[in-house]
Amino acid sequence: MSGVRAVRISIESACEKQVQEVGLDGTETYLQPLSMSQNLARLAQRIDFSQGSGSEEEEAAGPDGDAPDWAGAGADQDDEEGLVKFQPSLWPWDSVRNNLRSALTEMCVLYDVLSIVRDKKFMTLDPVSQDALPPKQSPQTLQLISKKKSLAGAAQILLKGAERLTKSVTENQENKLQRDFNSELLRLRQHWKLRKVGDKILGDLSYRSAGSLFPHHGTFEVIKNTDIDLDKKIPEDYCPLDVQIPSDLEGSAYIKVSIQKQAPDIGDLGTVNLFKRPLPKSKPGSPHWQTKLEAAQNVLLCKEIFAQLSREAVQIKSQIPHIVVKNQIISQPFPSLQLSISLCHSSDDKKSQKCAPEKPGQEGHLYVLEHNLHLLIREFHKQTLSSIVMPHPASAPFGHKRMRLSGPQAFDKNEINSIQSTEGLLEKIIKQAKHIFLRSRTAATIDSLASRIEDPQIQAHWSNINDVYESSVKVLITSQGYEQICKSIQLQLNIGVEQVRVVHRDGRVITLSHQEQELQDFLLSQMSQHQVHAVQQLAKVMGWQVLSFSNHVGLGPIESIGNASAITVASPSGDYAISVRNGPESGSKIMVQFPRNQCKDLPKSDVLQDSKWSHLRGPFKEVQWNKMEGRNFVYKMELLMSALSPCLL
Amino acid sequence: MEAPPVTMMPVTGGTINMMEYLLQGSVLDHSLESLIHRLRGLCDNMEPETFLDHEMVFLLKGQQASPFVLRARRSMDRAGAPWHLRYLGQPEMGDKNRHALVRNCVDIATSENLTDFLMEMGFRMDHEFVAKGHLFRKGIMKIVVYKIFRILVPGNTDSTEALSLSYLVELSVVAPAGQDMVSDDMRNFAEQLKPLVHLEKIDPKRLM
Repeated sequence: MSGVRAVRISIESACEKQVQEVGLDGTETYLQPLSMSQNLARLAQRIDFSQGSGSEEEEAAGPDGDAPDWAGAGADQDDEEGLVKFQPSLWPWDSVRNNLRSALTEMCVLYDVLSIVRDKKFMTLDPVSQDALPPKQSPQTLQLISKKKSLAGAAQILLKGAERLTKSVTENQENKLQRDFNSELLRLRQHWKLRKVGDKILGDLSYRSAGSLFPHHGTFEVIKNTDIDLDKKIPEDYCPLDVQIPSDLEGSAYIKVSIQKQAPDIGDLGTVNLFKRPLPKSKPGSPHWQTKLEAAQNVLLCKEIFAQLSREAVQIKSQIPHIVVKNQIISQPFPSLQLSISLCHSSDDKKSQKCAPEKPGQEGHLYVLEHNLHLLIREFHKQTLSSIVMPHPASAPFGHKRMRLSGPQAFDKNEINSIQSTEGLLEKIIKQAKHIFLRSRTAATIDSLASRIEDPQIQAHWSNINDVYESSVKVLITSQGYEQICKSIQLQLNIGVEQVRVVHRDGRVITLSHQEQELQDFLLSQMSQHQVHAVQQLAKVMGWQVLSFSNHVGLGPIESIGNASAITVASPSGDYAISVRNGPESGSKIMVQFPRNQCKDLPKSDVLQDSKWSHLRGPFKEVQWNKMEGRNFVYKMELLMSALSPCLL
Repeated sequence: MEAPPVTMMPVTGGTINMMEYLLQGSVLDHSLESLIHRLRGLCDNMEPETFLDHEMVFLLKGQQASPFVLRARRSMDRAGAPWHLRYLGQPEMGDKNRHALVRNCVDIATSENLTDFLMEMGFRMDHEFVAKGHLFRKGIMKIVVYKIFRILVPGNTDSTEALSLSYLVELSVVAPAGQDMVSDDMRNFAEQLKPLVHLEKIDPKRLM
C-alpha cells in the first residue's frame, strides 16, 4: 500500500495534539499525545496474529486482535510511515513476528517438557532450594515484618530479663546485707556472750564470768542495721550489725591516780577531775561494734574498780580516814601528801564537751598505779573465781576450802585468818603509791644533793627491775680523779613502803623513815666522813702515817647533823703532821704542825735547851683551805702532802 | 559439823534441815564425749574437773528393822582433801509439782581416821566402790558424770572393774527444806540436756 509508493512525502499532522472536543465557544480541548510505549501498545493491540501463522495457539494468544487495517487511520499513519522508511525491504512488524515465533517455539518446547514430566517416566521435577530467593518485593517486606517482630520479641525478653536482673540485684544486696549481718553476728558471738530474749539479741559486757561481783548488769543489745537506702552510696565503714550500749556505759572512762603534795581546798574536791580528756579524732560515722563494746567494757571495769575502792575506803579504818567525794577518793599515805584516785568518765554528749580541758602537766598521772589497779581488780576477780573450788570428794557440798578444812584440821582463828587474804584493793594500791612516792622522793633527794655538792660526788645506780613494794639503789660517794683509792662509802638503799633501809658496806643497817630530811642528813654525814676516809687512803698511798682516826669526834663544836670526823697523819719523815677535822655542817678544818725548829716566833724555852728537842713538832697552824689550789678536797690534800714531804730526788 | 555454805539463810549450828534434790540418768560410754561437751557449754566457766573417789558404805544395825546407813567418801586424786561423811535419808518422790527426788541429807567433812572411828562405834562396812568421772557446776547445781567401779579385792582400790558400760549422770542441789523452787531450775537444766541424757527422778524402791 503506502510502502509501495516511491515518492517521499513528509506529512505533518495538523495539530500536534488530537482534539478531543470543541467547546461551544470554540475552544478545543486536546488529548494528551500518546507516549511511545502507549503508542506501541495500541498498535500491538491491533495485530492480527492469526494472519501469517496457522497455529491455533497464536489464535488463542491474540483472539481479540482484529485483523489489522494496515493502512492505519488518521494520526497513526505517520509512525507507520517512519518504520517503513527505516526498513523498507521488510515487513514493518517483522521483528514482532520473529519474537512471537521464537516465543511460540519455546512454548512448544515447554509443552513437550511438561507432557513428558507429567508422565514421570523419563523425567521428574525436583524443587530447587533457590526457589525462595528469586521472589523479590513481597518477600522483602515480609522479611522486614518478621524481622521487626522477632526484634520486638527479643527486646521484650531482654527487658523482662533486665527487670528480673535489677530485682535480683536488689534482692541480692538485701540478702548480702542479711548474710553480712549473720556473719557479723557470728563474729560477735565468737568474742562476746550473747543470748536471745524474745525477739531481741542481748549480749553480756560484764566481767561476771571472769569472777566479777559488780552488780551492774552490763547488757548490750544487738541491732540489725540493714534498713539503709540501697540507692545511696553505702559508706565505707557501714556495718549491718550495730550494738546498743547502756547509756551509763557510753563514752570513755579511765581511772586517774595522782599524788599531790598539798591538800587542796576541800571545796575543790570532786570537781577538779571532771575535765574532759581530748578524745582522739573520731571518724565520722559510728565506730565499729568491737571498739564500741571494748570501750563500754572498759567503762564498766573502771566503774567496778572505783566502786570497789570506794567501798573499801569507807570500810577500812585508818588513822587518817579516807575521803570519798563524788568521783574521787582521797587518802593520805604520808603527812602533807595526798593520793587521789578518781574516776574520769567522759561521755560524748555536749555538756561534757564544754568542760574546760585540763591544763597539761598540772598533776602527773601515775600511769603505773593506774595500770596496777587494773591488774589488781583482775586478780581480785580471779580470786573470787578460784575461792569456790570444786569439792573433793565429789559428793561434798560446794564451799570455801577453808571452811571444809577448818573442821577436820581443828584450825584456830589465826590459822583460818591466814588462809584467807583480807588485804583489799585500796590497801594494796596505797602501799604501791607509798612505795612509788618514797622512791621518787629518794631519787629527788639524791639528785639534788648530787647537783648541789660537787665535792665529793654522789653516784646512784638504780636497779631496773623492781617489786611493786620494793626497789633498791646503790649510792657511791667518790672524789673526782680518785675513784680508785676512795671507795670507802658504798651504800645500798632498799626503799620499801614506809621506810628506807640503808645497808652500809661494812654490814651496818640503818633504817630511815619516809622523811626526806633523814636521808639527806644521813648522806651529808656520809659525805663528810668520806673526806676523812679519803685522806686516810691518800696517806697510805703517799707513805704518810696515820696517827689518829676518828669517825665521831667528841670534841669541838657540836654538829647539828651527825658528828664530825677527824684524822691526823704524819709525814714519812715525821717532821710534819696534818690534822683534818671535817664536819657535815661546819665543813673541813685542816691544820699543819711544823717542826719546832721552823717556828721562828716560838719563845725560847728554858727547859728545852738541847738541840735535839728542836725536832719536836711545834704548834699547829691552820691552812687557808679555800685558797689552796686544786679542784677538790683530795687533790688539795695531795698537793699539801707533797709540799710537806721532803723531796726524794 | 560443817554447814553447807551455799545457802541464803544464816547457818546456826547445823540445825537447818538440809535436803538434797536429785535427778538421775545415764549415758553409754560412747556418748560421754558429747555430753561432756554440752555440759562444758552450759555450766559455769570453770576448768572442767575430774575426780576419783573411793566410797564406803557403813551400816549400823540396831534394834530397828532398817539399819542406819552412813557413807564415807575420800578423794583418791587430791591429797589433803578432807574425808566426807554423809547421811542420806529416805528419798521422797513427791507429787508432780516437784520435779526432783528429795532426800534428807547431812554433810560433814572429817579427818582421815573416820573409818576407825565408825568401826569403833559399831558400824560395819557393807560395800565399797570407786567412782571416777567429771564434775560440773552451774550456780548451786552440781552435775556429776561418773562411772562406778567394783573393787575386786576388799580394801585395795588399785584393782577395780567397771560395773557397767555406761556413766551415771546426777544433777543435785543441796538446799534447805521447803525450797522446792530449785527443782524447777533443775528441770529446766535437765531439759537442755535432752536428748543427750534424760534426767528423771528415779525411785530406788521401784528398782529393787
